[in-house]
Amino acid sequence: MKRIAAVLLFLALPMFARADTQWILKSSTLTYHVTHPLHEVEGVSHAARGEGKCHAGECDFLVAVTVKSFNSGDSNRDLHMLQVTKGAEFPIITVRFHLPQSALSEKTIHCDLRIHFAGQVVTYKQVGFQQTIQGNEHQITGTIPATVSDFKINPPKLLMVPIHNQIPVDVDMTWQEE
Amino acid sequence: MNPDRRIASFWLSAVCFLVFLTSFTAHAQATAGVSGKVTGPSGKAIASAQVAIKNLATLESTNTRTDSAGVYSESNLMPGDYQITVSAEGFDSESASVSLVAGAAQAKNFTLTPTLTLAQLGISPQQAEGSPQEQARLNKRSHMLQIHQRLGLITTIPLIATVVTGAFSGGKPAVTSSTTRDLHAALGATTAGLYFATAYYAIFAPKIPGTKAEGPIRFHKALAWIHGPGMILTPILGAMAFSQRASGERVHGIAKLHGQVAIITAAAYGLAILSVTLHSGPGSHAAHAFLNLFRHKRSISVHAAFDGVPAQTGVR
Repeated sequence: MKRIAAVLLFLALPMFARADTQWILKSSTLTYHVTHPLHEVEGVSHAARGEGKCHAGECDFLVAVTVKSFNSGDSNRDLHMLQVTKGAEFPIITVRFHLPQSALSEKTIHCDLRIHFAGQVVTYKQVGFQQTIQGNEHQITGTIPATVSDFKINPPKLLMVPIHNQIPVDVDMTWQEE
Repeated sequence: MNPDRRIASFWLSAVCFLVFLTSFTAHAQATAGVSGKVTGPSGKAIASAQVAIKNLATLESTNTRTDSAGVYSESNLMPGDYQITVSAEGFDSESASVSLVAGAAQAKNFTLTPTLTLAQLGISPQQAEGSPQEQARLNKRSHMLQIHQRLGLITTIPLIATVVTGAFSGGKPAVTSSTTRDLHAALGATTAGLYFATAYYAIFAPKIPGTKAEGPIRFHKALAWIHGPGMILTPILGAMAFSQRASGERVHGIAKLHGQVAIITAAAYGLAILSVTLHSGPGSHAAHAFLNLFRHKRSISVHAAFDGVPAQTGVR
């Protein structure tokens, strides 16, 4: 009897293996911060799209957002931002990251972000995010420590004074498991 | 030389040459090769894909990359069983086993599956593809507006000097000197010249279709309707006043408005500069009150951002 139970349990093991899951980005707020001696500027976008796939215990995610979806409340400044970031030539910002599926249940997650922006590809290693889980929705918040020099952007100037190199991007995303 | 020896020497050379030639072919027949093409799901070639060819007996790996046509090729491999693994950024890796036979070149093609693609997010290739022409237009616009900004700042110098000398250019003929009036007139002419050069770069900077003015720039543009006509009227009234004074008359009639018009013009010009310079910090509260009259409420929609593409596919 014990042998039969052991055989049945062995045969059932694949059922307990991590099932493939898919994730969709339900909502997002991305905010970039630019600092100048005369200005503190924020540009906000709610237009990101994203998808994630988990297979064999590993998950891959892709998030995409257009450069021109960011709005700072000043159309002249937004057009200038579009120009210096080559947003007409490279209209889409993509972020790819990889997580072990086990990380999806943790309060704090760290991952490497591979970002395509302004014609450059930059990897930010071990960026930390906070995670809040409500049912099948996961809210992820954190800050990407982006800089102007990383993406080889010519820093805009006002009155011949350039902006600061740091352009951190605050991330607030809600992912839903399908 | 003895003819017999000559003939023997010839045949000996021929045999040596044949032996030499045969040694190459023998070596070639002892090795094997593999080649193939790596493509994506649409058949498009994948350049610079990494190809690892691993001998399953010796566990030695030979690494190569696909060329611009997506083709890889490796020869001089020992015959035997191999595992070929192909990987490229944005694609799932693929592996296949091949058996290489001496003297033959095996063909093995791969089709890689994209890991996650923009198309899956509802972003078409046309949307993802940029426009160098549009970028060039933006670059020209920014360049011209930079010149506009710098000329505008430079113009403030003779403008301020004109206003200051203006205080000593009017009044009774006995009080003010003609030299001061001449200086005031010259500074005014310089100011006007720089002003219209500044305006040129703003007016003729390329417009970007589909964008609506929003924020402080609206106030900046609105003020141009004050200082623009003012900068035309002020020199005209100034010339009339200058002529009257040169004739020994007191300034009268419409020419008397020269000073007031000049002050309003200069004030509007100064506000226009401040409106696009100071957005935060002390001393900007008055400007903020004016600016709030022109600010639009922000409203971002996915549809607007992706130019009318339907809502993200895959949302259930």
